[in-house]
Parts: sequence; C-alpha cells; structure tokens
Amino acid sequence: MIGNQNQARQKSNRSMTRLIPKEFLEPNWRLWSFILLLVVGIFLMVTYPVYYSKSTGLTDPFYSPTVAVLPFVGLFRLTCYAYRKDYHRHVFNHPRNCEIGFRGEFKGREYTGETRFFRLENLHRYFMYFAVAILPFFYYDLYLSMTYQPGFTLTLGGILLIVNTAFVTIYTFSCHAIRHLVGGNVDCFSCQHNTRKRLFSGQTKINAHHETFAWLSLTMFFLVDLFIRATVAGVIPNIVLLH
Amino acid sequence: MDEKITLNIYRQDPSVEEKGHYQKFEVPLVDGMVVLDAVRYVQEKLDTTLAIRWNCKAAKCGSCAAEINGMPKLMCKTRVDKVGHNITVSPMGAYPLIRDLVTDVTENWDILRQIPKFTPREDLEFPWKMHQEDIERSKEFKKCIQCFLCQDVCHVVREHSTPYFGPAHIVKAASLDMHPIDSVDRSTFLNKVGGLGFCNITKCCQDVCPEHIHITDNAIIQEKERAVDMTYDPIARLIKRKRTKETRVV
Repeated sequence: MIGNQNQARQKSNRSMTRLIPKEFLEPNWRLWSFILLLVVGIFLMVTYPVYYSKSTGLTDPFYSPTVAVLPFVGLFRLTCYAYRKDYHRHVFNHPRNCEIGFRGEFKGREYTGETRFFRLENLHRYFMYFAVAILPFFYYDLYLSMTYQPGFTLTLGGILLIVNTAFVTIYTFSCHAIRHLVGGNVDCFSCQHNTRKRLFSGQTKINAHHETFAWLSLTMFFLVDLFIRATVAGVIPNIVLLH
Repeated sequence: MDEKITLNIYRQDPSVEEKGHYQKFEVPLVDGMVVLDAVRYVQEKLDTTLAIRWNCKAAKCGSCAAEINGMPKLMCKTRVDKVGHNITVSPMGAYPLIRDLVTDVTENWDILRQIPKFTPREDLEFPWKMHQEDIERSKEFKKCIQCFLCQDVCHVVREHSTPYFGPAHIVKAASLDMHPIDSVDRSTFLNKVGGLGFCNITKCCQDVCPEHIHITDNAIIQEKERAVDMTYDPIARLIKRKRTKETRVV
C-alpha cells in the first residue's frame, strides 16, 4: 500500500518535473531578472493605467483597445520565432553565443528544446490571428489622435503613433506563421494563381527584417507609453505641428 | 623582415593519447593567405605528421571544416588577415576525432539514409517539366556542400544527446519536401523521428553556413510550420489532408 503511494508520488513528481522546464530551476540570474522586470512592468501598468487622453487625443498602445489584451499580445511575442531566438540565447543560455568558448552551454545540461513545456511555442499562429485582429484598433487610435479637435490635427504624439502603428503592422505581417500561410506551405506556385507567388515573395522580403521590427516595435511601444505618461503628467507638451 | 603568424593547432592521436594538446607553429605571412595555406605550410615544411583533410581549396567540397578561434569555419575560406595573427585551429568538436584536425563524420551518412527519399508524383509524364519559380526554394538547399559546420555549431547536436538530426539534414529533407514534383510530406517524420522540436531557433547554423543558406528561416522554420499543420492545427490538418489526398505523410 505504502509502496503504491510512493510510486504514485514519484510518478506525480516526475510529471511535475516534465511540466516545469529545467531551465526554470537553474540558478540563472538572467532568467530571474527578466521575470522580475516582467512582473514589475505588468504591476505598474495595471496600477497606474493611462488610457485615452482627451487633452492630447493619444491612446497608449499598451492599452489599445484595453490592457486585458496584453496577455495575448505578450504570448504572440513570446512565441514569435524572432524573440524565441533571443530569449533561448540570452535568457536561457541555450547557447548564449555561437562561439565555442562562450556558449554558457555544456554537455550533460538537461535540455528538452521545444518538445515539452516550450511545445506551447507551436501555438504561435493562433496568437498571430489575435495580433492581426487587434491591429485595426491601432489605426483607430491614429484616427483619434488626428481628429480629437475639430478639423485635422497632427501632433508630435500623433507622429509617434504613426511610426508605432507602422512598426507594429510590419512586425505582425512579417511573421513566419503568415509566411507559411501565404505560400510557405506551397510547393508548386505555377499550379496556383500568381498572386500567391507575389504575396510569398513580398512577405519573404519583409520577413527577412522580422527580428529588427520585433525590437523596433517593442521599443517604440515603450517610448510612446513614456511619452504619453509624460504629457499626462505635464512634463512634456504634446506639440501641435499642424492644425 | 618577413612577418610571421602563430598557429596553435590541436594535436591528438586518440589511439595512443587520451588527451590532446595545442602545438605552436610560426608560419611566414603571405598576402591573401587563408588559414588552410598556413596549416598546409606546417604540414609540408614543419611537421609532416600533422593530419588534415582538404580537397578543393575553393570552398566547394566542405572537407576542411574546422574551428578557427572558436568559430566553426572552412579553413580555405578564412583569410588570415580577418582572424588576426594568433590563430587557434581545432577539429570539429561535435564529431569523434580520428587524428589532429580530422574528424569522423560518418554518422551524417547514417542520418541521411533515414530521410524518406525523393518520390515523384505518379501522374507525371516523361520528361518531367518544372517551372523555374517552383524549383527556386529547393535549389537554395542544393547549394549545401556538406561541410557539417552547421551541425558542429548546433548546441543540440554538439552538447545534448537528443534524436535531433541537425540542421544539415533538415535542409536535405526540406529540399525534397519543397521540390515541386515530390509527393511526400516529411515534416511529421522530422518532428517525430528527426527531433525537429529540439531545435530552438538560435540561428547559429545559419550564421556559420559558408554557402549562406538561410537554414533556419527557409528550411527549419518552414518544416516546423508544416509540422504544426499536421500536429497542432486541426483545421490546417483537415484542409491539407483534403487537398492532398494523394500526398503521403511519412
């Protein structure tokens, strides 16, 4: 009886260790500082929200359309092939560097890749559908930033929103899951309408810069957020450039 | 005065030594010299017992793959003026050593034999006709010279014991999968047998490829997405199975 209980406990422990990736149990300061930053960031964003500011016409991209969508957008980025490369390298040290002497990787270190917990990364395409679905909200925010006063208004914040929206759009549409959808799964383009080949070739061109736009759009998110917080606090005026 | 470079070459004969060591050699610098020139100078003039493998000296045979200052590179394609005057040359660490800079890459041929072979569609008439636009993707992978530098730099192949075939073999499978008249889908096979899930997209293989093949972007990620179609996306699986009834999924 006791033997059976022990076996059951061992089995449950085994399934737990199978579920929790070994990388999370290693004394890795990079991982824990990353998680700390993430937790502090989310806490601050939920505690001190800035939504739409009527005085400037600006909507914080983190709250567009609402802060509740952040987990999905976050998962879209966490399962993105570009970020996967970066965090597997620089957070989990799998390996930190391609150069042999500086890899932070060694024989005997447990590694399961994307086969157990990180198998979730295969759900990237579902989060991509979500990211595409919320894109129109960014354009609506852009429209709001230009029409918050009677007539057309272009402000400094409006320009930042234009750049931000452009970066997010390029980042989303340069996704590898979209590449697969538009033509990556096709072996015979001549058997299809030429739009398929054109779409695939065009998407491939922007896909080559996917990683760049992943980081540009993320940085821009933070910059716009800081700018809007500063204008709300009255630190920086939202200069009207055209009215 | 003749300028000289210092070469630190890994030496070991596993049949008599348990551990290897680095031996220093001074080699006269010649304009436009590549690392292979310097290593060959050592073999011809300084120590004829040095074992190296090389063939074309034109970066097309893939024989002279080694680790130069810790980075997997072709010795014949690495100019001395790009890597400095103190150069360390080691054999590929992912493979069993035969002697000095020569490694045994036999396991790659065993893996290649496991990949389902090219299987043309049965409805085709001879001679087979293919459009240029259809063979472009597969053609990129045909540039592979089988130097196995990508395998050597891959941490999954080098440091972990997994069923992962390695980037060179995913490239081979992708070249067949993306062939316009091939009828087999190898993505499920790669995922289940070839350990495709162990690749974590760190792109080192792409960085070291001397033929500049976009290994990760054009082969591995594409195969991963195809495997997602068949494993994690029920809608895509339904559509794919309906559209390609004649396609055999391995």
